[in-house]
Amino acid sequence: MKGRMVVLWTLVGIPLLWGVMKTLQNALKLFQ
Amino acid sequence: MRTSDKVERTGHIDARIYNDNRVVTLMTAFLDRQSTVAPPGFNRFLVPPAALAVHLSIGQVYAFSTFNLPLTRLLGVTASAPGNWDLKQVGWIFSIAIVFLGSSAAAFGRWVERVGPRKSMFASALCFGGGFLVSAVGIHLHQLWIIYLGYGVLGGCGLGIGYISPVSTLIKWFPDRRGMATGMAIMGFGGGALIAAPLSVLLMAHFKTATSNGVLETFVTMGVIYFMFMMIGVYAVRVPAPDWKPAGSTAPAKPKQLVTSANVAVDLAWRTPQFWLLWVVLCMNVSAGIGVLGQASPMIQEIFTGRVTAAAAAGFVGLISLFNMIGRFFWASTSDYIGRRNTYMIFFALGIVLYASVPSLGHIGSIPLFVAAFCIILSMYGGGFATIPAYLRDIFGTYQVGAIHGRLLTAWSVAGVLGPVLINYIRQYQIDSGVPKAQAYSITMYIMCGLLLLGFLCNFAMHAVNETFFHRGSTQ
Repeated sequence: MKGRMVVLWTLVGIPLLWGVMKTLQNALKLFQ
Repeated sequence: MRTSDKVERTGHIDARIYNDNRVVTLMTAFLDRQSTVAPPGFNRFLVPPAALAVHLSIGQVYAFSTFNLPLTRLLGVTASAPGNWDLKQVGWIFSIAIVFLGSSAAAFGRWVERVGPRKSMFASALCFGGGFLVSAVGIHLHQLWIIYLGYGVLGGCGLGIGYISPVSTLIKWFPDRRGMATGMAIMGFGGGALIAAPLSVLLMAHFKTATSNGVLETFVTMGVIYFMFMMIGVYAVRVPAPDWKPAGSTAPAKPKQLVTSANVAVDLAWRTPQFWLLWVVLCMNVSAGIGVLGQASPMIQEIFTGRVTAAAAAGFVGLISLFNMIGRFFWASTSDYIGRRNTYMIFFALGIVLYASVPSLGHIGSIPLFVAAFCIILSMYGGGFATIPAYLRDIFGTYQVGAIHGRLLTAWSVAGVLGPVLINYIRQYQIDSGVPKAQAYSITMYIMCGLLLLGFLCNFAMHAVNETFFHRGSTQ
């Protein structure tokens, strides 16, 4: 059950973190 | 043909039909609600990622504008050529998808409740992924109506069904934290745009050639990727057993105000004043936010003329989208502690103060304060979407809450037209009347305050449903 939990949260978490990171990179331009 | 050959061939066909039937039977059993009932000891925190897999995918719709310009350059590739579609025509794809989101959520709500989350998520994956593939055919043949039908109608149905599919399941799994649970899923819808925007740009750059701008290949790839990603949700979702309760849960000693233990069926719910009060609450909250979201880039450039570049404005759009996502989880979780009505009171009261202060912030030229105000405004826009399912549960009970939510989403369709129209037309009217561009948004902001005041009053008028509307039969 724990392994499944890690796999599922990783599968949805990685794309989300990638999207957030890309957005923050763009947002920095606002204050440069 | 010899008799023995005939017998052998017939045997092969029979075996194929038998195998095909077996696959269909297995698939039907897999998708059946009964097979999604969780075994004892199942960890309920396995369900939110299933919901997120669907919402992160369908949230792509918010980033559809990344395709707008490339779709107008299919024939010329680098520049528009005769025969190409214009931006206005292409803009209809998004509008049709949003209209079908609202109407399919309303139309299929009861079906989603009946067949359970797995079958409805599967239907959503087929429609949403299929919508991309049908649109790819439209791009190949350069027929816009096929894209309207593919992404707009078929994809829009995928959006609506997918949006409501996990909501009632999550409410049943987290009776002690309804806001947090639905907030987590609906946060995914906001987060989907943050993934889809850079992903679309990346794929189009990858597939670009001298004769194609890569949109066709990007649509096919995204259709396949999103279908597979949504299948993670289809596989992982589970519903709790009817008698399941979270460990250590006890009934509250004093019933909470505006939280019912009764149930109202969908066909009666929409006849109650509470449904329409909530409809206006959602519509006003969304109208105020969606208008700003659509105009954020030109607005900041026009208010701070010469100080904000197009690239910086794109950063502003990204930042407020991020707060739209964060607000969904933050405000919905907060509503578990302070109550749904109080949460919406904050949205409307704070929203009025912030919208009213925007013209002054523009006048004094403070970009950080201006950005901060819109980040908070957009967090409450997202928070409004994420808190509404738990509000509906509090007022109408768990039975058919998904279907009621589906019908309430028609408020989103109306707001999707009302918000942008108000912002765009009033701005244009002001400019045509000789008002400088930097000040053209002031009146619009005050009109937004008016919308929020109407929402505040409707939320203030909210009260418990009369018991004549309560459902007396079985809720299973």
